[in-house]
Amino acid sequence: MKTIRLIPMLALIAGMIGAPAPAQQTGGRIVSLGGSVTEIVVALGASDRLIARDTTSTWPAEVNRLPDVGYLRALSPEGVLSLAPDLILAEADAGPETAVEVLKSAGIAYVRLPEAHDPQGVLQKVAMVADALGLQAEGAALSARLSSDMAVAEARAAAISPKKRALFVLSAAGGRIMAAGQDTGAEGILTLAGAENAAQGFTGYKPMSDEAVLAAAPDVVVMMDRGGDHSAAAEELFALPALAGSPAAASKALVKMDGLLLLGFGPRTAEAANALHDALYPAD
Amino acid sequence: MLLTEGLSVRLGGVPVLEGVGMTAQPGVLTAIVGPNGSGKTTLMRALTGEIGYRGRIALNGAEIRDLRPGELARIRGVLPQSGGLSFPFTVHEVVRLGQEAGAEPLRADGPGAALVRVGLGDYAHRLYQELSGGEQQRVQLARVLAQIGSPVSPEGRPRWLFLDEPVSSLDIGHQLLVMGLARDFAAAGGGVVAVMHDLNLTAMFAASVLLMRKGALAEQGPPERILRDDLLSATYGCRIRVGVAPADAVFLLPHSCAHGVGG
Amino acid sequence: MATPAPGNAAPVRSGDRSPRARRLCLVLVLLMLVMSALSLGAGASDVSASDSFGAWLAGRDLPLRDRIVLFDIRLPRLAMGLLVGAGLAVSGALMQGLFRNPLADPGLVGVSAGASLGAVAAIVLGGALPAGLGLLPAAALVPLFAFAGGWVAVILLYALATRGGRTSVATMLLAGIALAALANALVGVMIYKASDAALRDITFWSLGSLSGAHWSKVVLAAPLILTALLLSPLLARGLNALALGEAAAMHMGVEVQRLKRGAVLAVAAATGASVAIAGGIGFVGIVVPHLVRLASGPDHRWLLPNAALLGAVLLAGADIVARLVVAPAELPIGIVTAIAGAPLFLWILLGQRIRLEG
Repeated sequence: MKTIRLIPMLALIAGMIGAPAPAQQTGGRIVSLGGSVTEIVVALGASDRLIARDTTSTWPAEVNRLPDVGYLRALSPEGVLSLAPDLILAEADAGPETAVEVLKSAGIAYVRLPEAHDPQGVLQKVAMVADALGLQAEGAALSARLSSDMAVAEARAAAISPKKRALFVLSAAGGRIMAAGQDTGAEGILTLAGAENAAQGFTGYKPMSDEAVLAAAPDVVVMMDRGGDHSAAAEELFALPALAGSPAAASKALVKMDGLLLLGFGPRTAEAANALHDALYPAD
Repeated sequence: MLLTEGLSVRLGGVPVLEGVGMTAQPGVLTAIVGPNGSGKTTLMRALTGEIGYRGRIALNGAEIRDLRPGELARIRGVLPQSGGLSFPFTVHEVVRLGQEAGAEPLRADGPGAALVRVGLGDYAHRLYQELSGGEQQRVQLARVLAQIGSPVSPEGRPRWLFLDEPVSSLDIGHQLLVMGLARDFAAAGGGVVAVMHDLNLTAMFAASVLLMRKGALAEQGPPERILRDDLLSATYGCRIRVGVAPADAVFLLPHSCAHGVGG
Repeated sequence: MATPAPGNAAPVRSGDRSPRARRLCLVLVLLMLVMSALSLGAGASDVSASDSFGAWLAGRDLPLRDRIVLFDIRLPRLAMGLLVGAGLAVSGALMQGLFRNPLADPGLVGVSAGASLGAVAAIVLGGALPAGLGLLPAAALVPLFAFAGGWVAVILLYALATRGGRTSVATMLLAGIALAALANALVGVMIYKASDAALRDITFWSLGSLSGAHWSKVVLAAPLILTALLLSPLLARGLNALALGEAAAMHMGVEVQRLKRGAVLAVAAATGASVAIAGGIGFVGIVVPHLVRLASGPDHRWLLPNAALLGAVLLAGADIVARLVVAPAELPIGIVTAIAGAPLFLWILLGQRIRLEG
């Protein structure tokens, strides 16, 4: 048994040295990993070239019909290979690394897109996807449109004064508030919508102590919409001791929006920023 | 032969044995007797190489502490007081463990032969853990017999059996069987050292008796010199009267034993 | 208990289960071959292992994709599954022998907790390491840290439990619990520091997976696991004797201290390497040795190799399930082994209780 396995292993090592992956005409069969990437592909009018998506790609609804290759950080290389893609467009954190290596070695073009938390990042992703698909003209048009939309949102944000202090709550399970700090997509979209992040002093998504939440004193709480009764959720949230005394609780100011829309930083970011802005400043 | 000089043992900083000097000769059964806590078992553990000691213990002329466990296993076998077993081995497998540890070439019928000697010839397939305490004790003896093999090595040196209360779980019939096996082993040239509680059996089977008291050797000698009214009464802390029975008698009927007298 | 007189030539049924164990060994070797063939043939893609191997042996060129699927995906994955399954099962058998308890598992000597801490540290701090370590590819970082973490924990535990040249198994057990609690607390600190993506990585790592299989990982783990597997038979006689207790084992010529050290080192190597490349895969270490004992007895001379074979077969099988059930995605294999293993474990516990009480 051992020797039988050994022979192909040795052959493989020899093969690795000798055979570089041949370049291919790419972009006919695309696997898209990451919600925003899939949205960009669709926005560029290339949805017919998509053959598969990952679990986080849920918009537009039509992509849900495509095979799901699993969570983008726990890819199965053979699962992806079995779909015979020639181009993989992936968000920055797709993996694991070994799976990505195997996919690249199979001669599949693999484009890793940078992480984006602001309009420039969105435009960069659009440009890279358009390049990879050979749709430079469509890319330029989309970029121009998104750029002007996002400029409008930025202008609205700049015009607002005083800015509301918003707390982005990722989860409040068990009464423990997990909030978005610096360097997050959540802060990016809050900024773009004309709000200030009420949570200061930490990066990423972290559980906040009750006292820190109290000190943050948000004017409004923003959460991802996971369905359920909005007013019941608001009552439960604002009953938490940490939030009960906040300005947000006084005005029952809870905004819930779709997570992918809010945090995706794709073609819908201007839309998300405007919608969030409208929800934050209803009298505007 | 087995000899100790100035043997002292401390367990957890407490002196348990002090200055024991004793001898045991091959060819006879040597019994270690004494009240609870007198140091019998500790002496046994030192003699078998299980615990560290100060002083000397020479077995067939070699210092115990200088011998590796493997070397010791070829010249002495040890029957433990209790025979726990953590996995469901069969009786055959337990006895074979002993045989594999010993000095003699493995024989396919080795375990079977040892089992027959302890009266468990048709128990080979039974699971050890499902036997009664007395049966387990005899399986353990078979295991030790299988390990030690013949009483004398090919080079003519005696092998040794160390038995820690070998008959504690046995009925009278098997007590006699087991003590008889031990005496036969000695009679064939091997050495036998047994910790005994039963002074009657000691009187019947031992040729030499070590009387332990408070961590020291009180007396050593033939049974008729050690098993005396005054010595036993003083050692065990109760009035003991020794009577002499006919050579083939098994039972000695004791007089009432009152605690607190003597000592 | 009717006992025949000594010398009575009653028919002696042997009580020797080694022929049965030998047959089991043969069956398991065959099963392993079958499972290996199945594993090479099974996957989300329609690559046929036999056709491709045939073509390859005949010297014809394979399409690149087929070659990758077979030689870069399924083969390293199979090798990893066999190694990890065998490594975990043998580690379990060694631990159970050492602790004289059929429910012991490698977690008791702190390997798993230490390896978790190492892996989580690598996942969380991976980006922020000193420049020297930057030379290592990111993919090797987690396994290396996990392995180092497991070893540090074992060595620490062994040192804590050893006084005057004697290792107390009871102290190891208790200190292991304390050490695991400490490691878990440090994991908690790491989790607190972790980014969102790292958190999800930690979750997936703790579920265990062979999907990151790669020759680099096989090369990393194979020497350690194979060394432990090949040296484990040297411990078999000692572990058998140890079943009678430490004193009895010593009386039977076993160097008990050396046995303990050997078993702990072998477990640290095999479990450490397994956990390092495949994450947390539960129940193999407990269930597999138990099944082998049920089938052919507790004799470690057969238990160790047979547990290795059965562990390899079961993990390769679980991996086939993991990769087919939700294709083209896949389940973490730890989920598969736990779903199959947990009920089996309960069954073992209940069986033992009935036996103890009955």
